[in-house]
Amino acid sequence: MARRSADARLRRLLALVPWVVAQDGPTLDEVCARFGLTQDELVAELDLLFLCGVHPFTPDSLIDVLVADGRVWIRYADYLERPLRLTPEEGLALVAAGTALLAVPGSDAEGPLARGLAKLASVLGVDPREALDIDLGSAPEAVLEALRAAISARRQVEIDYYAYGRDERTRRVVDPHAVFAAEGEWYLSAYCHLVRAPRRFRVDRVRSIILLDRQFDRRQEVQARTVFEPAPSDPRVVLELEPRARWVCERYPVEECVELGGGRVRVTLAVSERAWLERLLLRLGGAATIVQGDDGVGPAAAARVLDRYRRGPAVSLGPE
Amino acid sequence: MERLLNLTAALLTATRPLTRAEIRERVPGYPPGDDDRGSFRRAFERDKDALREMGIPLVLREVPGTDPVVEGYLIPRDQYALRDPGLEPDELAAIHLAAAAVQLDGMRGTEAIWKLGGVPAGGDGADTLAALPTIPQLVPLFTAVSERRPVTFGYRGEQRTVDPHRLSFTRGRWYLDGEDHTRGASRQFRLDRVEGDVTLGEPGSFERPRSLDAGGSRPWEMGGEEPLDARVRVDADLAGWAVDHLGGDAVVAEDADGVEVALRVTNRDAFRSFVLGFLDHAEVLGPPELRADMVAWLQELAGEGA
Repeated sequence: MARRSADARLRRLLALVPWVVAQDGPTLDEVCARFGLTQDELVAELDLLFLCGVHPFTPDSLIDVLVADGRVWIRYADYLERPLRLTPEEGLALVAAGTALLAVPGSDAEGPLARGLAKLASVLGVDPREALDIDLGSAPEAVLEALRAAISARRQVEIDYYAYGRDERTRRVVDPHAVFAAEGEWYLSAYCHLVRAPRRFRVDRVRSIILLDRQFDRRQEVQARTVFEPAPSDPRVVLELEPRARWVCERYPVEECVELGGGRVRVTLAVSERAWLERLLLRLGGAATIVQGDDGVGPAAAARVLDRYRRGPAVSLGPE
Repeated sequence: MERLLNLTAALLTATRPLTRAEIRERVPGYPPGDDDRGSFRRAFERDKDALREMGIPLVLREVPGTDPVVEGYLIPRDQYALRDPGLEPDELAAIHLAAAAVQLDGMRGTEAIWKLGGVPAGGDGADTLAALPTIPQLVPLFTAVSERRPVTFGYRGEQRTVDPHRLSFTRGRWYLDGEDHTRGASRQFRLDRVEGDVTLGEPGSFERPRSLDAGGSRPWEMGGEEPLDARVRVDADLAGWAVDHLGGDAVVAEDADGVEVALRVTNRDAFRSFVLGFLDHAEVLGPPELRADMVAWLQELAGEGA
């Protein structure tokens, strides 16, 4: 444990020394702020630097640290004038973060992030536009922007929301807490005044948003960012799938996937909303057989959609 | 920790590789001992591991002029140092915010920011927008993509050798695109299915093809079927959503009841799946064969027979 913290301190010091060397006596406060240290911790690190240097450890071969008037100078550390290169992991963390954020709707493709990322990538020898593609999900830029503005101003919003699982559109007032991307979609986590409970909303299903004049004060703990957590009480359906429908195992949160031979599989799914299951069954058609659960859901949904076609085309085809 | 710093300093300033004996003599803090064994050896091994784990390039080389050959240690300065990317303060601040907003699970962005000079306090207010899952093979694969090194890994019970062209993250998963030598074709691999370690080949072994314009989320255009121009009516409740997904250009007519959109279809299965996602709030208007296709599909499922 002590060993680990010594490594962490050394990594910080190897970054801090080059920065201080390159400045002309930065203030202790500034050094602390940049490198996440308290004044006491910084002083302890500087004391330690005094003891360091190279053979034969005569005064001019020791690192010299001068602290005066709340400022600090470091000399005789020429060999530490450049910071340690980034590890591949650090390079990936920064490049991936920058690339992901630049792909978010509404980001400035010419802004400081884009410029900084290009410079960093060139030092790392990688072209992020070619080597990396990070898609956090698509969402209407205007809605995303409005939500982020409302979150930082702690303003309530009224949203027009389409609940996909229930196939229902509602207007509701919510206290927006955070937006985040997970599993390829953007979500809003908020306190919903319609149901009087915290809820997560898909940003791409927010049809319109009105910024209200009311502020909400307490920002609640952002909930765990799991997107779909089946409740134990949710009904389960068991489907047997033909080989051409195996993709369900990868695209849906299946709880169990059993090989039946010949490429067929049996999957168990938790179903919290009927419309969600209807869509799945309509898409699968004859490639799925319900072996446990209400086997009337698919035919009933198909009959309902079919009714619409029986009434004939709703309108004539629009202009070419 | 002083010892680690002194060891780093000694190996960085060395003009030739230093033998273990020289290191023991020049770097204070090692346990006393009269030979190259025992507690010194163990302490030095630990230090070497610690430095390497930090990313410090510690190399073992022959000491010139020794006979029999003796090996010594060195930290080559050009490999140690970060080349200065010349970031302006606003650029570094933007990268810092990005690293706070988009985090890779278990990967440290903070220390990377320190190496780049750190940012003044006050930049920590950013909310995390996304936390991307990672897998152990991600870092070596990123290195391989960056340095254009072929990789070998296990995949579905088979060893595959691949020129890795691009890493992508989409719908919550990491994928690798590349030229699969084993199959002689371009392939996409799901990284969570990669088995065991990844072995890297020589840098600069291949040219990366220019990225294809990602067709993105229009699966009905991803097929080799005879193109058909489809018209779909979407009711008002879901019209906005449909237009967001398809773009305003797809809209050919609009009224109080909804919108009519035009799609070019080269994959009928994907097209049918897309339209069925609207349940009974959308309808294929034409061409007749696509409409008939949909009706037949629904009839079969409704148990009516065609």
